[in-house]
Amino acid sequence: MEAVFQILTYGIMVGSLYALIGMGFSLIFSVMKYVNIAQGTFIMLGGYACFFLFKYLKIDPYISIPAVMIIMSLIGMALYKFLFSRLMDLPVGLRLNNSMLITFGLIWVLDNLVTLLWTSDVRSVTTSYTGEVINLAGVRLSYMGMAGVVLAVVFITALHLLLTRTYFGKAVRAATQDAEAAGLSGINVHRTFLISCGIGIALAGVAGVVVAVGYYISPSGGLAWLLVAMVVVVLAGEQNVNWVFPAGLLVGLVEAVSVFVTGASYREVVSLLLFITVLVFKPEGLFAKRSRGV
Amino acid sequence: MTYHWKSMLISGLIVAGLAVLPIVFNLGSNINNLLILMFVYVALAQSFNVIGGMALQIHMGIAAFFGTSAFITHVLWQHGIPIYLAIPVGTMASMALSVVIGLPTLRLRGMYFAIGTLALAETLRIVVSNVWPLTIYMPVSFSVNFTFPPRYYSSLAVAVFSCLVIAAIRNSKLGLALVSMGDDQDAAQVTGVNLFKYKVTALVISSMLAGLSGGVYCYFRVNINPSYLFVPLWSFEPIVATAIGGMGSLVGPVIGSFILVILSDIFALVLGEAHFIIFGILFILVVLYYPYGLMGLFHKIRLLVSRPAFRRAVAER
Repeated sequence: MEAVFQILTYGIMVGSLYALIGMGFSLIFSVMKYVNIAQGTFIMLGGYACFFLFKYLKIDPYISIPAVMIIMSLIGMALYKFLFSRLMDLPVGLRLNNSMLITFGLIWVLDNLVTLLWTSDVRSVTTSYTGEVINLAGVRLSYMGMAGVVLAVVFITALHLLLTRTYFGKAVRAATQDAEAAGLSGINVHRTFLISCGIGIALAGVAGVVVAVGYYISPSGGLAWLLVAMVVVVLAGEQNVNWVFPAGLLVGLVEAVSVFVTGASYREVVSLLLFITVLVFKPEGLFAKRSRGV
Repeated sequence: MTYHWKSMLISGLIVAGLAVLPIVFNLGSNINNLLILMFVYVALAQSFNVIGGMALQIHMGIAAFFGTSAFITHVLWQHGIPIYLAIPVGTMASMALSVVIGLPTLRLRGMYFAIGTLALAETLRIVVSNVWPLTIYMPVSFSVNFTFPPRYYSSLAVAVFSCLVIAAIRNSKLGLALVSMGDDQDAAQVTGVNLFKYKVTALVISSMLAGLSGGVYCYFRVNINPSYLFVPLWSFEPIVATAIGGMGSLVGPVIGSFILVILSDIFALVLGEAHFIIFGILFILVVLYYPYGLMGLFHKIRLLVSRPAFRRAVAER
């Protein structure tokens, strides 16, 4: 019984991080139809920002989140300004293809730049409370994992409220549905896209903090996180930002069970199998029917 | 598209020249290594060209098919099966793998194919590096018997074969279907092109070429580190070579891989790690500003320089 709860809590902790990672990817994809293959690399960059703030300025990783978000959103806006905005006029299919190619190239630039600047060492942020757990009726809950859950819930709720309750959110939804018509009715589409790209990359930064604290960061470590983001988004369905959180939890739980059954080295295989199974049987995503758009 | 005797003659002369080269000159091991690597890259770049250049289905997991074939070839070869049997078996394995990932992802539009292939390559890399983390050494007799000529000629044969396959596809109904698909999927489907069938065919051909080059690469390197065969580099560099040379063209990937191998050899000496950054930036710029690569640029220049050629180009269309 305790083992079941342990697996369950592990799954929820991992799954909420996955949801957070999938969120940034899904936001950029569903709003602008850009596939950001470099999302995992941006997660690593966020982790590096957190790491250096911790190492040189002695800022606690969780307190450094706003700073990391500001840095990453600036990077995201630069990404939109210099690369993505040039693809704006292309038809959707070509835009998708070219954004994939460009961000795939970006992975190479960023990976090797990071290696050159900060060497290819594997790093992680180790605070005084790393590895501490509370024992709750035999179930061990780590502080880090719980903080990850709280962060994921807070940021995903905040994003949901931003998209549904504010004027900016309305503009984003309008630009998502039809950029041209939104522009005609007085919405500054480019600015809307610029800001949502900034938010998407800032979310990668938050995920980067969680990864740097709970896992590790390395220049080429981003691809593994990208896979997670993609599996989550495919499970949620292409356009459903709302269902990213349940999808992330589901992936986390499946992974927790698979780690328990087969051991940790095959968890990527399990998520690939999940991905293929979903594509074969329900290609529009597990939660597609109940979606209400972004 | 017809066969031009002039271009056929030129390419025949180049191939003949490359075939005679090691007989006439005593190439050192450096030049031999470079040339063999270039032939491997030509086959890989053409492998991306079939599906990514012609049909515009972005294939981000060439490494999966390259690595699978190379690894299986290596295992078979190690267990005493002759290399000329091991390479076809490895190639067939990577073709089978391509069906596994192609059937679910190619039915759908958008990013699924790119994601599926990338995920496949990464998953294979992670699993293989978990299970076989170290370099697998062949028995000493393999290293003692190492000579360049058979490796040179087999890789040259694979490169030439890949170019012939592309030429044959461009002159066939399959090529027409792929190019129409790359131009506009909806229009192609409406006019009765069976998108799914042709996409899967193209993927299987693409993974055959990747598999062949993987087998030849394994034959060339002898001792291999299994996890290195699946690194994303093997997916990335064919795309760069094709994009620089010109997507969808026959000669473009060859020129692209020539530039890539030669330049990366020079850059790696001078700049070390940083040369990947330069290739990445170059690649991004090419995708943004020269979507047809060097071949498109040549074409444009030719149109600008000579009016008769321009007229002929218009008449051919």
